[in-house]
Amino acid sequence: MTDNTMHLTTDEIELWAQGLLPAARAIHLADCSLCRVEAERERKIILELVQLPKFAPNAGSWTRVMAQVKVHAPSGDWTA
Amino acid sequence: MFSLLYRMVRDRALAEDLAQETFVKVLNGIKSYRPEFKFSSWIFKIANNAAIDHLRRKHIDTLSLDGAPSAETPDQMRATSLQLGDRAESPLAEVENRELGTAIERAIARLRPEYRSCILLRHVEGYSYEEIADTLDLPLGTVKTYIHRARNELRVYLEDRRD
Repeated sequence: MTDNTMHLTTDEIELWAQGLLPAARAIHLADCSLCRVEAERERKIILELVQLPKFAPNAGSWTRVMAQVKVHAPSGDWTA
Repeated sequence: MFSLLYRMVRDRALAEDLAQETFVKVLNGIKSYRPEFKFSSWIFKIANNAAIDHLRRKHIDTLSLDGAPSAETPDQMRATSLQLGDRAESPLAEVENRELGTAIERAIARLRPEYRSCILLRHVEGYSYEEIADTLDLPLGTVKTYIHRARNELRVYLEDRRD
């Protein structure tokens, strides 16, 4: 059982930022301004990170990869 | 995987080369894949190793906007700092500046490569701590520490910018 007077750990703050903090610990967060400030800061950073765009290589990269891969020919030979 | 490489080396052409190198290794070494690992983790492991090897070889961890970690005087920091505008004439550099020029991207670039890998796998790729530990061959506690420190450093860098 967790002591509800204990401040949130970094793991718990991350859980809270993801909406996964157990209700019992959320009670502490509601009462503790220190934890709320810390949690809000963490949530802002996490939100910025999860919203980062995904990048893709230029078209044609895959063709260049396949040109360098050894393909197993039906004869049993390996060809580049 | 390309996003991770690109954010690690901050050079689109180089990231494409490393992505190609990764896929060639994956496809040519498919027999060495151990099914107890997630396939995507195996690919990320190869990609991350390629990026880290490259950064070590080329000492690009001096990408820090404040200069090389070894720089102790203001002159040394200036001499080794990255000037983002230096390559602005090239169209590719313009693309990179547009893609990686936001405050958060610039803050990520200032992190140590080990922190960068961990934070990107955690919050951009959505890996669990355990998956990151497996992928990067690091103890679970180290992964947690790196991610916590990385978030703290990002906060400081972003707060500096806002001041």
